[in-house]
Formats: sequence, C-alpha cells, structure tokens
Amino acid sequence: MTTQPHILVIDDEPQILRALRTILSARQFRVSTAGNGEEGLALAAAGKPDLIILDLSLPDMDGIEVCKQLRGWTQTPVIVLSVRESERDKVAALDHGADDYLTKPFGIDELLARIRVALRHAAQTQTKQKAVITAGPLEIDLVGFTVKRAGVEVKLTATEFKLLAYLAANAGRVLTHRSILTNVWDPADADHVEYLRVFIRQLRKKLEDNPEEPQHILNEPGIGYRFIADE
Amino acid sequence: MRQAWSFLQSEWRFLLVVLSVLSTLLVTALLVPMRESLELAIVVLAYMLPVGISTALGGFVPGVAASLASFLLLNYFFIPPYGTFQVHHPQHILMLVGFLILSTSISQLVGRMKEGLATARARENEATRLYELSVDLSGVQSENDILNNLARHLTETFQAERVEILLVGEQSSPVVSWPNGPGPETPPTTVTSLQGAQRLLGEIRLWREEKPPNPAEDRLMRTFASQGALALERNRLASAATRARVLEESDQMKGALLSSVSHELRTPLATIKASVSSLRDNTFDWDAAARSDLLAAIEEETDSLNQLVGNLLSMSRIEAGALKLERQWNDLSEIVAVALKHARSVSPSHQFEVDIPEELPLIFVDDALMAQVFNNLFSNSIKYSPPGSLINFKARRKDADTLLVQMINQGPAVPDENLERIFDKFHRVTAADRITGTGLGLSICKGIVEAHQGRIWAENLLEGFSIQFTLPVPAGGKPPDLPDV
Repeated sequence: MTTQPHILVIDDEPQILRALRTILSARQFRVSTAGNGEEGLALAAAGKPDLIILDLSLPDMDGIEVCKQLRGWTQTPVIVLSVRESERDKVAALDHGADDYLTKPFGIDELLARIRVALRHAAQTQTKQKAVITAGPLEIDLVGFTVKRAGVEVKLTATEFKLLAYLAANAGRVLTHRSILTNVWDPADADHVEYLRVFIRQLRKKLEDNPEEPQHILNEPGIGYRFIADE
Repeated sequence: MRQAWSFLQSEWRFLLVVLSVLSTLLVTALLVPMRESLELAIVVLAYMLPVGISTALGGFVPGVAASLASFLLLNYFFIPPYGTFQVHHPQHILMLVGFLILSTSISQLVGRMKEGLATARARENEATRLYELSVDLSGVQSENDILNNLARHLTETFQAERVEILLVGEQSSPVVSWPNGPGPETPPTTVTSLQGAQRLLGEIRLWREEKPPNPAEDRLMRTFASQGALALERNRLASAATRARVLEESDQMKGALLSSVSHELRTPLATIKASVSSLRDNTFDWDAAARSDLLAAIEEETDSLNQLVGNLLSMSRIEAGALKLERQWNDLSEIVAVALKHARSVSPSHQFEVDIPEELPLIFVDDALMAQVFNNLFSNSIKYSPPGSLINFKARRKDADTLLVQMINQGPAVPDENLERIFDKFHRVTAADRITGTGLGLSICKGIVEAHQGRIWAENLLEGFSIQFTLPVPAGGKPPDLPDV
C-alpha cells in the first residue's frame, strides 16, 4: 500500500463526486471518479484503486452487477452507498461481495470510519490477522480461544466462541445474517436467523455491560450485525 | 335429438287419448252385463267417471276424446234399441245431447283449470328463479362475480350445456363462460342481448340440447338478461362514484401534503441557507462558538429534512399498498436498542427507561420496519413531552397469542375525541408552528403495525400519555426450532 491510498468513487451525482473529491483529497487520499458503471469498471481495472466507493443506483447498470463483476477479478474493498429504504439492495450488494455500506445522506466521519476499517481489513487479509482483539473491557484471543472481560475469563460454548470470533475478526464491518450463518453454522442454515438471534442474545448477556443497550455487538435492522472493537 | 324428443312428446299425448278411450270401454264392459237392471241415469253418471278422470289426468284433448267415446258407447249399448246407433225415444235423444254437452263442458273446464294451474306453477317457478338471481346479483361487488352468477343461474334454470357472456368493448372472447373451458363449435341455441338503460352492454349465448326455448322461457331469459344488465350498470355506477370520491380525496390529500411539505421543507432550508451564507461571508469573523453553533444547526436541519423525505416515502408506500414485509425471527429488545440509541443521541435531556422481560419469545416481524416504528414513537415522545421527563418503553406478553408494547411519556393529555385522529395523516394535535413535523410519524406506525396484523391506539393515563400496540405472536409464541446450545 502506498502512503496515499487511492480511492475510486463511482456515482452519477456530480455534486456528490465534487464533494467527496474535495473532502477525501483534503484527507490525503488520492481520488478518481466515475459517473457510471462502465467507466467505473474500466477505471477500477486501469487504476488499481485501494478502495471503491460505489453508488447502488447508477444510470447504466445495477450497482449490484458492478459489485459482482468487480469480485470476478479483484478483492479491492467496496463500500456501497444507498438510500435508507432499500435494505434489500444493501443486503444483496453485501452478499455479492461488498464490504460495507453507507446510507445517504451520511456524515463524513462515518464515511472515514468505514474507509479506515475497510483498508485495515484488506491489509490484514494480505498480511496476518491480529491474534487478540480488544473492545472496551473485552479481550478476545482468536488463537487461544479465550475471552476475557475486565481481565476475567468468560466461559463461552464452542458455537458462541465461533460466532464471536467471526464478528471480532471482521470488527467494524457489517456482516449480513446470511454471511454469519454460512460461516459460523453451515450454508444450509443460511436462512435460520433465529439461531443468530438466540446466540447473539446469549453473547450479549455474557459480554455486554447492559445487554439492553449493547456497545459492542450492534444490530443493523434488516441487514445484519456489526462488532465494534477498539481502533 | 330434438326431433326425437318432440316425437316422443306427441306419442305420449296420443297414448293419453288411447288410454282415455280404453277407460270408457272398461266402463262399458263392466256395465253391459247389468244393463237390464240399471237405471239409464245411473249409466249416464257412470260414464261421467272416465270423462272426468281423463280430463283431470290428461287435459282437454283426452277429456273430449273420452266424452265422444262415451257418447257413442252409451248410444250403442245402452239406448234401446241396443246394438244400433238409432234412437227412438225423444227423451233419450235429449239425454244423449245433454250428456254430450255436459261431458265436453266438464272436460273443457277441468282442462282449463289444469292449464291455469300449470301456468301458475310455471309463473311461481319463474318468480322463485328471478328472486334467487336478484339476491345473488345484489350481493356481489365485482363485475366478474355478477357475470359468473348470471351465467350460473342461466345454466341451472334453462338446463343449458353452456352459457357464455360477452361484453361490449371487451375482446371478442367471452368474459365469462359456464362451465369453464373451450366452447362448442356449433352456433349457440339462442342469443339474448344484455340491454342497459342507455346502450347495449353485451350478449348472452346459450347452448342446450333440447328444443329452442318456448315463448315463456324466452320471456324469462330476457328478464334474466335485463336483471343482469341492471346489476352491471349499478355496479359500474357505484365504482365510478367510488373512483370519483377517491380522486377527490386524493386531490385534497395532495393539497394538504403540498402545503405541509413545502412548509416543512422550507423551514430547515431557511436555517441551512442562512447559516451557510453567514459562514461564507468574508466580511465578518465568526468566533469559534458561533461557528460551531451554526454548523450544528445545519447538521440538525439536514437530518430533519432527511427524516421528512424518508417519512414521505414510507407513507406513500403504505398508501400504495406497496409495503413488502421481510419477516424473520427477531428479538424485540435488540430492535428497540437501535431506536433507543438514536433517541438518546437526538435528545440527551430526556430520560429513557426500557422494560422488556427476558423470557419474551422471538417475534416474526420485519425488523427494519419495526425499527422505524420505534424510532417514530421515540421521536414523537421526545417532541411532545417536556425536556428532562421520563420516556418509558414496556413490552409484555398479553396472552398466548399477543404481545403488548407501550410507550409512555409525560406529554400533555390529548382530548378523547382526538385519540384516534392522531394516527391520521397530517393530523397535528398542537398548532403546526409550535412543533415541527408533518404529522406522518404516527400514521406510518399505524400502517406498519397493521401490516403486521397488529393494532395501535393511544391512551391518556393518570400521569402521562401512552401509545400502545399489539403484535400477534405466531403459533402461540412457540419458538422456532433451535440448535443445541
């Protein structure tokens, strides 16, 4: 990775492109922009960006289709932009390889946080996964299979640990129900959201200070879960 | 087939005539051995018997046949001289003529009575059929149901093999056929037009194996057709009236929407415009506090604009019936947690208390939409209750099949007559300029809760105000099958 990460923004709104170019350049990113899917795919192939910000509603092709085509040849992180009312599209994009999503209109701090997480995650998969993840009072040892809360070991069942480990290894990123169920359980269980609800409830009881208002295992209605770790 | 049937019918009538003549022969055979000892008057009376019976059973023609046969037999066997048609005694001539007149009159009278009875029966039958048809036609709403019922009644009443109804203006294929399926190749037995008050509405085609309808059937068929046409016209008028009313209402709605929306859009836009242009003004140097104040105002107003647009979109989806539920198993408390987190960030001054029992079963809902319900309820409570007051969220299992959710705030009581109206679109309890919002939040809640087969209502409590709703717990709260923990 260069010192100046390269971000490709694909959106058909010139105002959004203008604003993002200005804001991201000021934050020391190299920015290129594309106004439609075709151009975006071409630029992605030619410019080898470190991250792609992709609007789901493009004039020439479906954003989900762009996502699919990108995943055909690159693992460059993709953050999709979408409007509030289209949970289904967000989930479809995420299940087709997008790394995260942002709902328009978004605050720039949110966007920067997503970019940071996505870049860090991409770097980690290239090198090596961190062995211990900390989140507030929690210490999750992915290699030693132990979890400590404020220094005291918490007993988890095998499935609970597997679930927590998957969430924590993807800290900061949203994970769809389908992706969690497929990875922690089995592809055949991809639709059994009820498993997830029950196990998440148990994990929160064991790990969160106030399970009614969780700080680490966050729910994204209609989409999935996001684990919040320390930066 | 038809010819065969009419042949059989005439054959049957002929048989009746033969039988009635035979009955007079029977009477003769019985009486002849006793003719010496019998008074002629008794014999004459005895002959009345087959005449009466034949008329009663067979009608006019068999009756007259019997009376003529009786006349001849009486003359031949019982009027002296026996064995001839000669009559010597003027008294006997009188008697024979009297018998003939009397017996034929009886046949005629009884025959007419019988015919009258048959007509009355047929009329009664027609009236019953018509009554049943009109009942079945008045009970239905859609054009298709009207046509289906009409076709069914026609089939039953006229023993038709098939009935097709075509409407003017539709494609040439029949709108309704009874029974379903492709029709016969042959042309229909009869075609009756469906004549409306102003214009022709369509036609009825009827196939049957029997002879073409007789005048009475034809009359009845036309009455059926006019009943059907009447029902069709009534239905078309009613739906036209409904459409007109809906259009008028939606026009009023659009008016209310536009005035409300333009007001609600302009207010935040005014703030944003004023703040941004002030910050861009190079001639004035804002201190840090003022700058951050202006910027915070801009951010808040963009959020409220965003919420407004979202609400409008949700409302239009609910209105259009385009709300698609993506139901899955959900933990109520974690949906509430999302809304609560947002509520705390919007109003740090309010106190929030959430009470959801841990043993509550999973619920089968669309979590994104339910999150919107809780967001709107929290936002409503924040708007209408004093800063610093307590906002209380409770959920309970009301019974095996129902979950009860309550949001209680310390807002002012709403007049009882307005408790239902607060869920109407654009209804605002307080003056519009005091509290911002379009009055859409609660009607969206209502739309979403009702899409989940729930019920939502508002109540004034002794202390505070509450909005409550129920949600059905599927299968009596039986949780889905879970893997071993």
